[in-house]
Amino acid sequence: MNARWLVATIVAGGLAGLFGRRAAAVERNLAGSAQFDYHFVPNSSSTLPARQVPLDGFTTEAALKVAVDVSSKLSANVKVCFGCHGFELPMAYFDYRVADELNFRIGRFSPSFGNFNLRHDPANHKFSSKPLPYDMGRMLRMREWNLGVLPSPFPDSGLEINGTHWFGLKAQLDYAIYAVNGFRGDASGQDLDFQQSRSRDAYYVDNNGRPTLGARLSLTVKAGEKADVSFGASGMHGTFDPENKLTYTIVGADLAFRFDRTNVRFEWLARRQEFDASDPSIFRYALPSTGGDFFVKHGGYAEIEQPLSSSVDLLFRVDGLYRKGNVFAASPLRRQSAVTRFTLGTAIVLERGYRVKVSGEYWDFSDPGEGGRHSDLGLHVGLVGTF
Amino acid sequence: MRLLSAAVLALAAGCAGASEGMEPTHMPSEAQEDYAVFARRCSKCHSLARPLQSGIESDEWWQHYVARMRAMPGSGISADDEVKILRFLHYYSAEQHKRHAKEAP
Repeated sequence: MNARWLVATIVAGGLAGLFGRRAAAVERNLAGSAQFDYHFVPNSSSTLPARQVPLDGFTTEAALKVAVDVSSKLSANVKVCFGCHGFELPMAYFDYRVADELNFRIGRFSPSFGNFNLRHDPANHKFSSKPLPYDMGRMLRMREWNLGVLPSPFPDSGLEINGTHWFGLKAQLDYAIYAVNGFRGDASGQDLDFQQSRSRDAYYVDNNGRPTLGARLSLTVKAGEKADVSFGASGMHGTFDPENKLTYTIVGADLAFRFDRTNVRFEWLARRQEFDASDPSIFRYALPSTGGDFFVKHGGYAEIEQPLSSSVDLLFRVDGLYRKGNVFAASPLRRQSAVTRFTLGTAIVLERGYRVKVSGEYWDFSDPGEGGRHSDLGLHVGLVGTF
Repeated sequence: MRLLSAAVLALAAGCAGASEGMEPTHMPSEAQEDYAVFARRCSKCHSLARPLQSGIESDEWWQHYVARMRAMPGSGISADDEVKILRFLHYYSAEQHKRHAKEAP
């Protein structure tokens, strides 16, 4: 067993045991989820099998979480999961809620950004895959694109101050400001390295000693008994290279409608990413004399979840990425590249807490892939359980 | 792959009719409105199976739990909703408690 996984489990158990003894009512809750998904991509060729394009085959995402309400003000959450990067500790934090409007979150957590991240657990979103701006490994040509704009979840260590305020019974205003370690990249400084950013090898310590700062503001308005609308804006900014010279800035805006059990969501993200331009020979395009040492990656999605009955949901999503800026000489991408995906799917409840997800995807790439192909198909069949 | 898809769809068709939540018509009328608020608000972020299968039976525990959920961004759980949700969870816990007592040897 991986030694750090063992340590994480011991820490989780220790926290649960500690608070379990202290809280007379033993107010802790154990929750978990697991999703087993088969992603079939029928595009194999002799030179480029499908498995080299996406994660073509079975994937597993599993998580176990302990939430402890130590008192009416203090709570703790510890979550361990297995998925995109092997064993991971995406949550290990304390919330100290002085009032609804003032909560201090300290530890390891995904800082507040966007609308989707709250539902990133596969048991909490009904599609088989995440929206492309938040993709973490289920997209086709993921290596060429280096995933989405902000692969979710994005656990990090730091401090967040957040809160919520109700204006009567109709409107809820949420805010969050935070300082976390931030994403990492190597010394060559060409893009964020999402594997290194989550690596446990450096004990979750920052690579450049400068925190990333961010904030989020959102408003939810109840438009009647059955309907509400939420809109929000988010942003974060920091450096990612060991020399602390290259910056990234991520901004986003989101809008979500809910009528009874129907959800309609729109979200847009953009990341401005500086890169090291000291060696112009590695790039495909000539560097401009000023202001050319960055690229911008946009991502967006629109989706609807429409219940057809108490057990069946119909799902439709359109999402995409657009990247503008210089690329490595060997990259299959160009100065401007885009990908659009159309997803039609369903989620069917087999038993309370047990759901089957099926979806089909049509992919349209601006750049040719193997054999000059611009489009691809994908099929997901999965089971997700939660308790 | 086709066989797998067919098997999963057949299984799903066979099980259609199951639900993440509860069947309101099986509840007393006064609980039905509270359940509707619970189902509408809580399913916004997670499956209803989470609270319904948590095994929590204590009112005090539910108060902490729902207070924490109410503070989640965009939860839409107003103070008014909190009362209805807690009233439903109290009803549900009591029903679960009765059922467990009956099933106990």
